[in-house]
Amino acid sequence: MTAIARFEQVTYTYPGAQRPALHDVSLNIEPAEVILVLGGSGSGKSTLLRALNGLVPHFYGGTFAGRVTVDEFDTRTARPHDLARRVGLVFQDPEDQAVMTTVEREIAFGLENLGVDSDAITRLVEEALISLGLSRLRHAPLAELSGGELQKVALAGVIATQPHLLLLDEPTSQLDPVSSEELLAAVRRLSEDTGATIVLAEHRVERCLHLATRVLYMEDGAVAIDAPPQEFAAWALHGHRELLPPVARLFAGRLNGRAEAHARSGHLPLTVKDARHMLDALDAEKPTRRANDEAVAEAHASATADEIVLETERLTVGYDGETPLLEDVVLRLRRGELVAFMGENGVGKSTLVRHFNGLLTPRRGRVTLLGRDVAGLSVAEAARSCALLGQNPGDYFVRDTVAEEIDYTLAQLGLDGARRNALAARIIAELDLAGLLDRDPRSLSGGERTRVALAAVTCGDPPVIVLDEPTRGMDPAHKLALTATLRRWAAAGRCVVVVTHDVEFAARCASRVVVLGDGGVLADGTTADVLNGALFFSTQVNRLLRHALPGILYEDEVVWGVSLQ
Amino acid sequence: MSAPTTSPGPDPVEAPAAPAAGRTAVVPVDAPSRAARAAVSVRRDGPRGAPATRGLAARRPAAAAAYVGALAFAALAVSNPIQVAAVLALVLTVLALCGRLRASLPYARVALAVGLFLAVLNPLFSGGGLDVLWTADLGPLSVTVTTQSLVYGVVTAMRLTAVILAFALFTVALDPDDQLGLMSAVSFRSGLVLSLASRLFPVLSRDAARIADAQRSRGVELDRGTRRQRVAARVPLLRSLLTRSLERAVDVAAAMEARGYGGARRSRWVHRRPWWAADMALAAGAAAAALALLAGLVTGHAAYDFFPLIDDPWVQLLDMWWLVLVVALVLPVGTALGGSRR
Repeated sequence: MTAIARFEQVTYTYPGAQRPALHDVSLNIEPAEVILVLGGSGSGKSTLLRALNGLVPHFYGGTFAGRVTVDEFDTRTARPHDLARRVGLVFQDPEDQAVMTTVEREIAFGLENLGVDSDAITRLVEEALISLGLSRLRHAPLAELSGGELQKVALAGVIATQPHLLLLDEPTSQLDPVSSEELLAAVRRLSEDTGATIVLAEHRVERCLHLATRVLYMEDGAVAIDAPPQEFAAWALHGHRELLPPVARLFAGRLNGRAEAHARSGHLPLTVKDARHMLDALDAEKPTRRANDEAVAEAHASATADEIVLETERLTVGYDGETPLLEDVVLRLRRGELVAFMGENGVGKSTLVRHFNGLLTPRRGRVTLLGRDVAGLSVAEAARSCALLGQNPGDYFVRDTVAEEIDYTLAQLGLDGARRNALAARIIAELDLAGLLDRDPRSLSGGERTRVALAAVTCGDPPVIVLDEPTRGMDPAHKLALTATLRRWAAAGRCVVVVTHDVEFAARCASRVVVLGDGGVLADGTTADVLNGALFFSTQVNRLLRHALPGILYEDEVVWGVSLQ
Repeated sequence: MSAPTTSPGPDPVEAPAAPAAGRTAVVPVDAPSRAARAAVSVRRDGPRGAPATRGLAARRPAAAAAYVGALAFAALAVSNPIQVAAVLALVLTVLALCGRLRASLPYARVALAVGLFLAVLNPLFSGGGLDVLWTADLGPLSVTVTTQSLVYGVVTAMRLTAVILAFALFTVALDPDDQLGLMSAVSFRSGLVLSLASRLFPVLSRDAARIADAQRSRGVELDRGTRRQRVAARVPLLRSLLTRSLERAVDVAAAMEARGYGGARRSRWVHRRPWWAADMALAAGAAAAALALLAGLVTGHAAYDFFPLIDDPWVQLLDMWWLVLVVALVLPVGTALGGSRR
């Protein structure tokens, strides 16, 4: 088979960088492959994709050695616009790739650049609109689209040009999970219906692994493994278990020492469906509930103290002139609780928590923070008691170094002297920032930026900490680290609130789950009670074991009755 | 953005370029988009299942631009207070039919502020006119207010408002991409800059609001204190906003290049929107209005006059050029801007 694209010993370093972003990369991309590119922040995933369409090195400059060929084109001589007909790239942030102002014009932009005649553009735009379900938005201004819709428009703009090779650079990293699901479904349809060759860089392994025909895992710019999904799963069992879908981790516990051999022969399920088939095929051996497990007890611990730190009284939220998003919400949040707010996209979760520190004013009702009505406080005053981390860590960075960011917050809170130094030292230790203090926060990787922004809002030791979609675009390793930090904080008596669509994260992290919907609170209880048996707001392991072991949310809560060995 | 940087062989080479920008995220994720809500609303209201463009945005851009141009021309060319008021009323009606009355408010505020300023000051400083209403001796300043100077002040304010709103009509009621298309015929690059500016300005505005909220949430007091303290507190935000804007600029440039911009000869998508009867009515109205105005100018009946002398304003309303102008500008309002695409 003739490769569509080929890397030959490619090493590339960005201008001013000390280390190469790609190091001695050699690989072939065959027609109709769906390649999932995994790796932590800064591992070289995006650079790999940009090397395929010539942006590396033509746009970014730097030092380039080796050769990348796409069809008959050598990217050392072919510029990105020469390759645009063959290679389409969808970027991470949908806001940063749109040029025109309405949907159909945006889709037509690439076709116009390629010199396609007007009649053909009309047809191709229409097909792209239909294929991604965007027809009803054809005249819509891009400024009025949600992030998910905008990213679909970006994908439509690329597939309209009918590229041989479709590159998707973490296309869901800036999207909520619902929009992410829709986009990945569109990619899957594209692959199945057209046999398109797709290279997809993603963090959401559990949603993508089964789509892939091949997986690349990148570390420090090099390809650590390049294998089919099952072989990759076997490799990940040794040192990268967090990369596996939860059901694969569950069965990995069963296979013990024989895991790699079983994985290679297809014995590690990658989806709930596969896992159910495997479970049904087992005779005597079944998973059972782990007894008296400390980790489980800690994860599901409810608040130990009764002190209410934040309370809403018949709170009604929404925007002027529109139907309220939530009405008469009554909530009491206590010290030591780790509460996950979940619910459908647009239900008002983020809007609700923005009332907790006074960023928004209630339409009716009130919010009480440590006994004081938030309406009587400025946001800056409320910040002393309630820290809120929004979805974009970069919004918090206004100083030159990480150390200055922390110091700036403490100064704004009116703290000085020994107390200021002690709080700075504490947050640096808690979030493991000692090695980053002299770095420019804007130059850090995604996970590091989240940690620094978290430090910037929480260094004053507020009793209430609110995080809005903290795991969006976060790789699995950083997600685990964040879970541990939040659990520590709750155990220390803080009240931690996370707004999240990430059910697996909520299950591992939260002691209480509040589900919002239909203009109010639909469910409010312990994590096990709320997530158990749910159809959508449930974990992979719970969906698999809900009948046999009700209340089980993740693999650490399970032991296998009989070992294979 | 940067110079070519490849090496002819496997040996590494250095090339000048900007570093890869840090990636930042700016996507509102927890709200259904206005467009989606609009689409749902339309689906409930009618069978078309799409947020239909209304008024001038639904018309051929050339016809719409010609009609708006005729309105602006009329606002400048007439002097009779009743005629000026009629043109202003027509501009407001068209804005309302296009559903863009609210969008034109910022322009209306500017026009009214400047117009009011002129309407108040003119009678005080221009004592011309036949019918003296009031005189006063204020030391070195002698003030004479006449009926004519009062009327002139009001007419100037109305004319200014009509002209500004006519241009606002072009900006807010025409599809921005249609504007780009029109401009592309002259200069694509200028049109592209306009399009990017219109697209990125709301993004920048959202960035600014979000950054301000982020700073408030870490204890920065942006809204209290003296004006100087508030300005000082916001200075660091500007830096963050500038950084974000530069990152966006780099990313947008990369995306454009990846989509083939700057390569082979561009084609231009001529929108499939055909010339409906309504488009022709609009274009014909604009052409007839232009001819009527030219006729008025040539015959001396229509002219921009700094200090017009009017015996009886009602008599001029029977002038043939004015009647043709009214018919030419009003007729398409019902047929072309009533909401029907065809």
